[in-house]
Amino acid sequence: MLESLYIPFAALLFPGGLFALALGLTLKGFDRRLAARLQARVGPPLAQPIYDLVKLARKRTMVPDIANEPVFLGAPLVGAVSMALAAALVPIPGFYTPDPVLGDLLVLLYLLTVPAIVLMIAGSASGSPFGAIGFSREMAMMLAYEGPLVLVVAAVAMRTGMGMGGWISFSLTDIIAYQQTHGAFLLDPVMWPALLAFLAFYPANLGIIPFDIPEAETEVLEGPLLEYSGPALGLFKIMSALKAVVVLGLGVALFYPIAPEGAAGLLVQVAKMVLLMLIGVTVVRVSYGRMRIDQAFRFFLKWPLALSVISLAFVALV
Amino acid sequence: MSNFTIPVGPLNVALEEPMYFKVDVHGETVSHVDIHAGHVHRGIEYLVTKRNVFQNLVLTERICSLCSNSHPQAYAMAIEQIAGLTVPPRAEYMRVIADEIKRVASHLFNVGVLAHLVGFESLFMQVMEVREMMQDVKESMFGNRMDLGAHVIGGVRFDINDESIEYLRAQLDRIAPAVAEITHIYNTNGSILGRTRGIGVLSHADAVDCSVVGPVARASGINYDVRVKAPYSAYDRLEVPVHVLPDGDVWSRAMIRLQEVATAIDILRQCLADLPGGPTSCTAERPSIPVGEAIGKCEAPRGELIYYVRMTDSPKPERVKWRVPSFMNWDALTFMMKGAKIADIAIIVNSIDPCISCTER
Repeated sequence: MLESLYIPFAALLFPGGLFALALGLTLKGFDRRLAARLQARVGPPLAQPIYDLVKLARKRTMVPDIANEPVFLGAPLVGAVSMALAAALVPIPGFYTPDPVLGDLLVLLYLLTVPAIVLMIAGSASGSPFGAIGFSREMAMMLAYEGPLVLVVAAVAMRTGMGMGGWISFSLTDIIAYQQTHGAFLLDPVMWPALLAFLAFYPANLGIIPFDIPEAETEVLEGPLLEYSGPALGLFKIMSALKAVVVLGLGVALFYPIAPEGAAGLLVQVAKMVLLMLIGVTVVRVSYGRMRIDQAFRFFLKWPLALSVISLAFVALV
Repeated sequence: MSNFTIPVGPLNVALEEPMYFKVDVHGETVSHVDIHAGHVHRGIEYLVTKRNVFQNLVLTERICSLCSNSHPQAYAMAIEQIAGLTVPPRAEYMRVIADEIKRVASHLFNVGVLAHLVGFESLFMQVMEVREMMQDVKESMFGNRMDLGAHVIGGVRFDINDESIEYLRAQLDRIAPAVAEITHIYNTNGSILGRTRGIGVLSHADAVDCSVVGPVARASGINYDVRVKAPYSAYDRLEVPVHVLPDGDVWSRAMIRLQEVATAIDILRQCLADLPGGPTSCTAERPSIPVGEAIGKCEAPRGELIYYVRMTDSPKPERVKWRVPSFMNWDALTFMMKGAKIADIAIIVNSIDPCISCTER
C-alpha cells in the first residue's frame, strides 16, 4: 500500500475508524444484552447502539445560550477523532501491526487521556452547573486512575524489555512478540497484580458503575453530557464506543496477545474483546452500586495504585 | 472550590415527583437548601367541598397513588364517626388487609428506588420484581394495580372467599423469603452500606423538633405508630410490633421499611387466620350523614395521616382538611442535608419517601 495512504486508511477505515466503530457498537450491544439478562430482563436488540446513533444523527443539536459554541461543538469532534486515531494504534495480534509512523504505546497512553479532557472541556463549555460538577469529578477520577494505568503499562514494558535483554520497551510490537514466544502475561504470576490494577481501570476509564461518577445520572444528570443533543451527542457516543475498542484492545495486547496468523487472528481478537467486555465491564457494572467521588478516589489510591507498584517491584526484582 | 446553585427538580430523573430544591453547593458539599413546593397543586381541598360525601371517597383515593388506600380510609373513618356507624368486624379485618398490602408495595418501591439512586440497578430490578408479586395480588383481589377502591362509608367494597385467601397465602409465602433475602442484601452489601450508613442523619432531638412521623421518626428512635398508639380497624386485635432504630440515617430508614414489610406480611397472615364472618358493610344503602365534625387518623405507609371533616346540613362537606405525613417529614430534609454531598441529595430526599402529590394536593 502507498505510504501516504496508509495513515488515513488506518485511522478512517481499518482498524480504526469505521471498523472500530462497528466493533465498539457491537460490543456495547453485547454489554447491554448480557446486563439485561443478568438482571432478569430481556434487553434491547444487539443493534440498539446503532439505532441510537442513527436516531441522534437525524436530530438537531441544541446549543445553550450561555455555552461557548465553538468549544461546545468542537469538543466531541476532537474526542471522536482522537479515539479513531488511537484505535489505529492498537495492534491485532497475528493480523495487524501498526506502522511505527503512527506512534507507539506512549502515544496511545496520551491519546487515552483525550476523552476525559474533552468531557471536562465540554462540561465547562456548556455553561451548566452540572457540567461544572462533572468537570471536577472527571478531573478527580482521571488523577485517580491515570497513575495506576501508567505504572501497569510500565510494568508490562519492563517485563518485556528485561526479558529481551534490555531494560524497558514501549513498543507494542515487542510486547506482543515477547509474549508469543515466552507465554502470555495473563498466565505469569508476576504480572497478576498489574492485571488486577488494569481491570480496575476499565470501569473508571469507560465511565461505568461503580465509577460512572462524573456522569452519574441520578446525581448530576449525565454531567458534561447534560446539554448535548443530536449529532454532537452522537459523536460522544462514537467516542465512547471507540474508546471501548481501544482499551479492550490494549488489554488484549498487554496481557494475552496469543493468536493465530491471518484472518483467524482477527476473529480471535474480536472474541477476546467480547469476552473481556463481558467479564471486565458488564459483570462489574451489574454487581455494584455507584461509589461517591471521595470513596472512588480513596479506592484508587489504595488498591490499584498499591497493586501496580507491587507489580513494578516484582518485575524489577524477579 | 467554587460555589454553585444547582437546581434539583422540579423535573429530575432522581425524583419521582415534581419538587424543587434549590441547592447551594460549595464544591461537592451542600451549604444551603431551599425547598419550593406547589408544582402539583390540583385544588383537591376545594373540589372536595363541591362533591357529596360518597363521591369524595373516590376523589380522596386519587390524591396520590402510593397512599391511595390510606386517604379514603381516614376519610371514611371520620365520616363514620360523624354518622355514628359501626364498621362490622369482617370489614375491619378487610381494611387491615387492604392497608397492609399497600404498605408492602409502597415500602418495597421506596427501597427499590434507593438502590436505583445508588446506581445498583440489579438490586433495583430484584426489589421491583418482588413488589410486582404484590402488584399481582392487588390486581387479582381488587382489579386494580394502584387504586384499590377498597372502602365504602361503613365498610369495604370487596369481599374475599376461600379461593382468594388461598391465593393470598400462596403469594405471601413467595414474597416473605424474597423480602428476607432483600433485607439481608441491604444489611450486608458494601455498595449499599457505603452509600447509606451515616448519610442524611436526623438526630433524635431534631426528629422531635420537626415532629416527623412514620418510618422517618421510627428510624430516629421515636417509638410512634398510629396502629399501636391509637388502634383503628382491627389493629387492636392484631399483634403489631413497632420497629425502632436509633441512628436516623438513610440506611436506618430503609431498614425500618424492610422490617415493616416483613411485619406487614405477618399481619396479613394473622388477618387471614382470624378473619371473622359476617357482612362487609354496616348498611346496604347509603347512610345519611348528619351535621357534625370529626377527625380520622391512620398510619399510611409514610406515617400518620389525619383527616378532619366538617358536615353541615348539605350532602357536601363544608370543610375537609388533611395533614399528610410528607408535610411533617420534608422540613426535616433541611437538617438531613446539612453538610451532605451532591451525590447524596437524591438519596436523602428519597429516604423520607416524599409524597408530593399528597402534600400539595
